[in-house]
Amino acid sequence: MRGAWHRFARERQAVVGLTAVAFILGGVIFGPFLVPHSPIAIEHAVLGYPQPPSWLHWLGTDLLGRDVLARALVGGRVSISVGITAMLIAIFFGTFYGAISGMAGGVIDALMMRIVDALFSFPTFFLIITVEALLNRFALGIIVLILGLLSWMSVARLVRAEVLSLREREFIEAARALGVPPLRMLVRHLIPNALAPVIVTATFSIGDNILAEAGLSYLGLGVQPPMPSWGNMLQDALLPAVRSAPWLVVTPGLLIVITLVAFALIGEGLRAAVDVK
Amino acid sequence: MIVFIARRLLAAIPLLLLVSLISYGLMGLAPGGPTAIFQAQARQLSPAARAEFIHALGLDKPWYVQYAYWLGNLIFHGNLGNSFVDHRPVVTKIVEKMPVTLEMLSLALLCTIAIAIPIGIYSAVRRGSAFDYAATVLAFASYGMPVFWLSVILIDAFAVNLRLFPTSGIASVGHERDPLDRLYHLVLPVVALTIVSLASWIRYQRAAMLNVLGELYLRTARSKGLSERAVILRHALRNALLPTITLLGLSLPGLFGGAYFVEFIFSIPGMGFLGINAVFQRDYPTVMALTMLTAVLVVLGNLLADVAYGLADPRIAYD
Repeated sequence: MRGAWHRFARERQAVVGLTAVAFILGGVIFGPFLVPHSPIAIEHAVLGYPQPPSWLHWLGTDLLGRDVLARALVGGRVSISVGITAMLIAIFFGTFYGAISGMAGGVIDALMMRIVDALFSFPTFFLIITVEALLNRFALGIIVLILGLLSWMSVARLVRAEVLSLREREFIEAARALGVPPLRMLVRHLIPNALAPVIVTATFSIGDNILAEAGLSYLGLGVQPPMPSWGNMLQDALLPAVRSAPWLVVTPGLLIVITLVAFALIGEGLRAAVDVK
Repeated sequence: MIVFIARRLLAAIPLLLLVSLISYGLMGLAPGGPTAIFQAQARQLSPAARAEFIHALGLDKPWYVQYAYWLGNLIFHGNLGNSFVDHRPVVTKIVEKMPVTLEMLSLALLCTIAIAIPIGIYSAVRRGSAFDYAATVLAFASYGMPVFWLSVILIDAFAVNLRLFPTSGIASVGHERDPLDRLYHLVLPVVALTIVSLASWIRYQRAAMLNVLGELYLRTARSKGLSERAVILRHALRNALLPTITLLGLSLPGLFGGAYFVEFIFSIPGMGFLGINAVFQRDYPTVMALTMLTAVLVVLGNLLADVAYGLADPRIAYD
């Protein structure tokens, strides 16, 4: 693990990504305390006329006279937490699913993997929209759950492949000979040794989830106002009525791009660091 | 080879059954199904008439019974049912919309390949150069960009402000059959789809080329005195294109995912537009048919990728 960290630190792009993520996280965690505007308070004086950036509102205001900077920071909290929590759900579920499938082998394994194949041949986003629209409830927890539960398949495949190769290794055989019970085998021996590729996937999936949330919000199926997220800020900004206010369009869009690229840079760096050839 | 294809197609049948079961189950178990929508629409109907209506659509039965009917209808009659909304056969509705989507997606795929493969190859050959760096930045930016955001920016810039292209639709009124007019309407959607799919193709092609560049047979080619140009173009390039063929099949679901947004934003009357509207209207038969169609396309795409890979590379044997 130490060696991997050193290799990671040598990857310049990964360090850039890590710095950017630290900066973004710091911004969305501490930023809202420093901005003297509320993200949801409507300023009636400017209602209906988005204000361009000024000394009072650094990134301008939106159609309802709300401060864009404050919204972007709080929205970042929401978007990134959605991304990370959904990732954790997918990793947790996918890891156990894949490890059980790999450990069980035989018919159970084949059946479990066919289910993964089936879910893979769905138009995933279409499926998410369908579930969202049908549930017709957009609590934050439900969105996170749906994103997480529909994106675990690649993790499951990765972990299963790792477990299949681990099963043949001596230390697992030794553990089996010692009579280690299956659950303990899974949690203590198989999963920890299969985690490296999962961590790489996890980094990318945070970004994918942020993008998916933005897409859902664009269709009105994501995080619901007045709670801001980068996705629903984009939805507001992309209304034809505010087309003449580029600061509304640029801010959340650029934040999404920068965040995704930062996480992807870390992911690439991790992949290079973990993948010892 | 034929045995290989036949076996893969046979293996796809349980897969497709599973897909249909999962999606039907999801829709069946979700609260607020089509009956809720009809209740809103049909407030003027008497309760008895509404019950009759719901009964006629089979929506009063549990979801697994509905699923059995649906499946039986599909297998024994080749029938995917009628739309809940306008009661026309779902197949007809989809077939009408399909050419537009296919036109748009194939154009986008062609553009993506034409742009991304040379960039990927060249940045691998000139690894670490300014070009490689710029290509990497381009790939990352393309990866991080929400397609609807990009689409709206393109509309704003090139359709609203510069008035170079139409903002929406697939053809001008009265020019529905004019291919040039359709092409003109497709420029912005295709540009949007192309830009967001560049990322994976550039990265993939670059990685494939880097792999090939480390091969011993290139050293052989060099050592027999071939020019660097000949080594790259005649020996490395062909081998580096092989793995990319597989991406063709694998990129299908992503392309369709993008198509939903792009068609929605540009109001292009294709399958994506139909799909999103069907979801919002709880038009289950249409949703089911589109899901199944996409699943079939994914299966075929994967199979095609494997077959093409085998045809291009004689080292791979089907067993």
